[in-house]
Amino acid sequence: MVTVLQVDDDPAVRELFAIFLAMGGYLPLEAGSGSECLELLKNQMPDLIILDLMMEPIDGWETLAAIKTIPAFREIPVIVVTGKQPSAEEIRRYGGDIWDYIIKPVDIEQVVAGLHTILAKNRGLVCEIAAAIKRGANPRAAEEYARYLRLVTVAHNLERRRRNRTWTENVSIEAEEKRLRMLRSELGIADSPAAEGT
Amino acid sequence: MPADTIVIVEDELIEAEDIRQTLELLGYCITGIYRTGESALDALKTSRPDLVLLDLHLAGRLDGIDTAEQVHTLYNIPVIFLTAHADDESLERAKVTEPYGYVIKPFDERELHSSIKMALYKHHMEEQAQENARTIRVLANAIPDAVMLLDENHRIIALNDAMARRIGHSPSITDKPAPVIRSGSYGSLTSLESQVSDVLGSLRPTRFEEKTGNEWFEVTLHPVIGHKSSEKQVFVQYHDITDHKIFEDKIKRDGLTRIAQNMEQFQILNDQIRNPLQAIMGYVCLDCIHYRERILEQVAVIDTLVDRLDNGWLESEKVRRFLLRHYRSSQDNAGGSPDGTAPEGGT
Repeated sequence: MVTVLQVDDDPAVRELFAIFLAMGGYLPLEAGSGSECLELLKNQMPDLIILDLMMEPIDGWETLAAIKTIPAFREIPVIVVTGKQPSAEEIRRYGGDIWDYIIKPVDIEQVVAGLHTILAKNRGLVCEIAAAIKRGANPRAAEEYARYLRLVTVAHNLERRRRNRTWTENVSIEAEEKRLRMLRSELGIADSPAAEGT
Repeated sequence: MPADTIVIVEDELIEAEDIRQTLELLGYCITGIYRTGESALDALKTSRPDLVLLDLHLAGRLDGIDTAEQVHTLYNIPVIFLTAHADDESLERAKVTEPYGYVIKPFDERELHSSIKMALYKHHMEEQAQENARTIRVLANAIPDAVMLLDENHRIIALNDAMARRIGHSPSITDKPAPVIRSGSYGSLTSLESQVSDVLGSLRPTRFEEKTGNEWFEVTLHPVIGHKSSEKQVFVQYHDITDHKIFEDKIKRDGLTRIAQNMEQFQILNDQIRNPLQAIMGYVCLDCIHYRERILEQVAVIDTLVDRLDNGWLESEKVRRFLLRHYRSSQDNAGGSPDGTAPEGGT
């Protein structure tokens, strides 16, 4: 059974996610703060993490950075579900570490329904990278490719949803998309439409 | 009004006496008669007359001309030459000492009288002019702004102490022609040359701001018509606006602080409204009846929040700390209107 860890300081939101995750066939785990999350990761092995940003004493981005330092969880897929819009800086800095950035309020059922796609994409990416490295690719370039792929995915999702909203922030990721294409060809990875965007 | 005092330097006693009587009758006061230049100069050390009548040809170590030179240089007392000779050579030599006139012997009483009166008057006028010039110099040097006057060829006609300091120029108000102002030759005047040319051409004043090191200056250039109407000059003024700029900066920063504070307000709304909305959505998707209490609780939370907003009071340490950590200036502001009704799709 796939385990999903949800980190949010609002108990009502946690409760609802737990209900819908269970309904979706996942095993839900809860943490009410970044520190609780890290504590939990000492004993549990979730397959995916849903992360809120606005938390105390450490916020979502700081928690994420801490998670990435744990070797077992370096490649764990993470999606951010938060009440605030991202700044361009946040996307550039952290976008490569997550698979999506979703702004509340959100239809939790739909989010849960989309989790299996993310898990699949993440597995696919891990395989692509392993294969590339076996072919002799530079591991650092492969790592960079992974980051850029995720960042571009997040940005595209935000852009797609933005068209339905009213805010004006426009994150241009032309440079990042270009870099992604370069890395892809450098690593000899096929250009599959399923890998990018939704 | 006290009588004007005169000293006579004449080696022929009878002549001297003659002059003395004449002048005393005219109302002048003779304070001394000296036969040699040295003795006259010696006397002048202690007592200064208003005018010196000097024979051009004196016996002794110093002749008339040398004596006159000393009188002029040391004491700035007007001198009138008495002379029997009117040859060009003597006059040429005498000119250098800047005398106020010559009286040829034997003298005409009226001529002597008018020469003296004229000399005293001219001297008075000159002293006045010098005093005025000095006053203006003091005034110019008291101005904290660096000011100077340039001619058509960018040469400095005059400048005050502040300007001399600014450009590292040693004399202050000077009568000598000064070096040309060229950008680069004085490091602090880099943008000046072309501006000066513009003003000379357009004859319209101009103003711009310039930064030198850590200091800001407002530079004003004003066209001036010189002494002759064809002479074009430029008046240059450097006014220190560093404090003003610092103040402006502070206001801008305060403004940015206020923008940042507003941003915090928006982000608070983001966080504190969207969570209850999220909860409501979730409960609604599950079972409204069953979760009725929970839904109403969340609605109450939003209601309270809006209330606080109404009263202009909304604060969140949590949000503030987050913003401080992850947001730079207001350029990265993603604060938009919370539009909480559109449901989010998953990936």
